[in-house]
Amino acid sequence: MTRALPNVLTITRVELLRFLRDRGNLFFVLILPLALIVFIGLQFGGAGGYEVGVVAPDDDPAAAELIDRLDASDSLTVVALADEEGLTSQVSRGVLSAGLVLPEDYAAALAAAEPIRIGYLGRPDPGSRSLRTVVEAAVADQSAASEAAHLATTAVGRPAAELIPVAEQVRADLPQVTVVTDTVGRDEVMAEFAALGQFDLGASGQLFLFVFLTSLAGSGALIRTRQYGVAARMLSTPTRLPVLLAGLAGGRFAIAAFQAVYIVAVTAVAFGVDWGDPLTTTLLILIYSILSAAAGMVLGSLFRNDSQATGAGIGIGLVFAALGGSMMALEFFPEGMRRVAMLTPHGWANTAMAEIVRRDGTITDVAIELGVLAAMAVGLLVLATWLLRRAITR
Amino acid sequence: MDALLRCEGLERSFGRVQAVAGVSLAVAEGETYGLLGPNGAGKTTSISMIAGLLEPDAGQVVILGDRMTPRATAAKRHVGLVPQDLAIYPDLTARENLAFFARLYGLERARRDRRIDEVLEVIGLSERAGDRASTYSGGMKRRLNIGIGLLHAPRLLILDEPTVGVDPQSRNAILESVENLASVGMAVLYTTHYMEEAERLCDRIGIIDQGTLIAEGTRRELVATIAEQDLVRLKVVGDAAGAADACQALPGVGSADAEDDTVVCLLDEAASHLPALLEAVAATGASVAGVEVKEPDLEDVFLHLTGHALRD
Repeated sequence: MTRALPNVLTITRVELLRFLRDRGNLFFVLILPLALIVFIGLQFGGAGGYEVGVVAPDDDPAAAELIDRLDASDSLTVVALADEEGLTSQVSRGVLSAGLVLPEDYAAALAAAEPIRIGYLGRPDPGSRSLRTVVEAAVADQSAASEAAHLATTAVGRPAAELIPVAEQVRADLPQVTVVTDTVGRDEVMAEFAALGQFDLGASGQLFLFVFLTSLAGSGALIRTRQYGVAARMLSTPTRLPVLLAGLAGGRFAIAAFQAVYIVAVTAVAFGVDWGDPLTTTLLILIYSILSAAAGMVLGSLFRNDSQATGAGIGIGLVFAALGGSMMALEFFPEGMRRVAMLTPHGWANTAMAEIVRRDGTITDVAIELGVLAAMAVGLLVLATWLLRRAITR
Repeated sequence: MDALLRCEGLERSFGRVQAVAGVSLAVAEGETYGLLGPNGAGKTTSISMIAGLLEPDAGQVVILGDRMTPRATAAKRHVGLVPQDLAIYPDLTARENLAFFARLYGLERARRDRRIDEVLEVIGLSERAGDRASTYSGGMKRRLNIGIGLLHAPRLLILDEPTVGVDPQSRNAILESVENLASVGMAVLYTTHYMEEAERLCDRIGIIDQGTLIAEGTRRELVATIAEQDLVRLKVVGDAAGAADACQALPGVGSADAEDDTVVCLLDEAASHLPALLEAVAATGASVAGVEVKEPDLEDVFLHLTGHALRD
C-alpha cells in the first residue's frame, strides 16, 4: 500500500493535465466566466453607489454648487453631460442610474426666487426612487438659503443677492436640526447590495455556476478514460481499485478547484472583487469543489457516451445555476422559488457567499450552509464512488 | 519445468454464461506460450484473471510464487499486460503515456527516464516521442500500447491479440518485437486466433475453445494428435459427398469429409494411397479437378478437435 498516495496523485495529475490540454475547455473555463462577470458587472452598475448624469448650464454658480452637493454624497457620483438627448440615452440603457436636467439661468432663477423646474430622469427600479429622494434633498438644501434670504428681503428691504450669503452664514452658525429617520418597509433588496462592488455579485454567482458546470461538462473525460481501456489497464499495474477511484476523484476535484481558484484570483486582482474572509471562503469553495467533482463523477459513471454526458452536464449545470441564484440573486426570487433554490447546492453556496461578502460572515455565521453542502458532498461522493466502481469493473 | 506462471483450474462466469470452464496451464521463464482459439473462446477472460483484472470464480493463478488477485500488488509487478484494445491516452504524447504508467509501477525517476528512452527505442517511436498519440498511425499506436507493457521490464509479458486490425507491415514488426523479447529471456503469453502467428512465435500452444483448454503442447505434439497423418484435398467435379464416402471406405483412410466441392482426407502415407483415392472417386462417377497434399497444421488440429474451423 506504500504506492497508494503517489499513484493517487499520479492519476489526479494526468486527469488535470488532460483537461488543460483540451483547447475546447479553455474557452469555457478561462474566458467565458470572466466575460459573464464583466457583463453582469456592467449591468449591476458602479461600485458602491450610483452614477447620476447632470446636464447643467455652463458657468452657472448655483448649478456648480448643486453638483458639488450631490457629489459629496458617498453613494453618488455625478457625471456631466452636454445634452439631454445623451442623458436620456444613457439612463435608458442603464449606463447611468438617473439623470438631472438643470434649466438655463438656474442661479439667476434661484436668486430671484422664481419657480424652477428641474428635470429628473429615473429608471423603473427601486434604486431610482431612492435616488430621487437624495436629489430632492440636495435641491431643497440648496434652495433653503435662497428662500430665507427672500424672507429677510421682504422683512428688511435689502436685496436678496446681499442677504443670501448672510443666510448661509446664519445657517452654518445655528445648531442643525437633524431628522432621525427610521425606515419602515425599506427596500431590503437594494440595501442588500448597497455595499457591493460592481463585480462582486456577478463574480460569486458565476463562481458557483462555472465550478459546477465545468465539473459536469468535464465528466466526458472520465468516460473516455474508461472507453480507452486505460482505467482497466491501470488495474494491471500495482494500483488497487480504491487507489484508482481516489485518483479519478482527485482529478475531478483538481479540475473543479482549478476553476474556482482561477475565478477568485483573477476577479480579485483584475476587478477588485471582495471575497470576504479568506478562511471561510476557502472552506466554502473547498466543500463546493468536492461536491461538484462528485456530481461530475456521477454523470461520468452513468453515461457511456461522452457527448451525451457533456450535453447533459451543461443542461443540468445551467438549470441548477438558474434555480440556485447564480444567474439572478436569490433576493429577487419569490418566496416559493427561494425554497426551490435551496434544493440545489448553488442555493446554499450563494446564500453562504452573500453572508460572507455582504455581512462579513465567518465560519460560524455560515455553519449551517457549510454543513448542508458538506452533507451533499459526502452523499454524492458515496454514490459516485459506487457508480464508478461498478462502471469500471463490469 | 520451473513454471514462472501457473494457472490451476481457472473458472469464470458472467451471469449464466460460463466464459472460462477450467483452464490450467504453466509458462516457464523464457518460454513463449500461445493461447490459440476463436473469438469468444475465453482467451481474454483467462488473460484478465492471469493479469489480476478479474477474480476467478474457482482456481488460482500463481506468478513467481505470488498468488495473483485484483489486490495482489506484488504479483502485478512481475507482469506486463498489453490489452487487445489500445489502452493509451491519445491526448498525451508517447513519452507522457510511458511516464504515467512508469509512475504507477513505482519506477524511480532515474530508472524511469532510462527505461522510457529504452522502450521508445525498442518500439521505434523515439523520433515521435513528443507528439500526441492521437497523431500516430494505427501501427504506431499499437507499438506504444506494447511499449507500456514493457516499461517495468516484467518477467512475464501478456499480449492479448496484439495484431488485430494491424496492417501487414506493422504486424510483422510486432511479431519481430515479440521474438526479440523471448530471445532475451522474457516469458510471453500470447493469445491469438491467427494460426500462423502461433506457429511462428510460440514454443508451446494451448488450444482453447468454449472456455476449455482442449489441447496443449508444441506444434509438433499437437499435429501428432491427429496421428501424424497427411492431409489430402481432392477438388472434385460431381458428387463430393459420395466421393467422400467412397474414400472413407478405403483402408488406411482415417477420415474423409466433403467441404463444398472438396473432399478432405486424413490418411497415413498419402503418396502410397493417392492412386486408390483417385480410383475411388472416379468409381462414383465424379472426376478429380485438383489434388493437394500437405502435412496437417494447427488449423487442421483445431478442426479435428472441435469439429469447426478456427475462424468460425
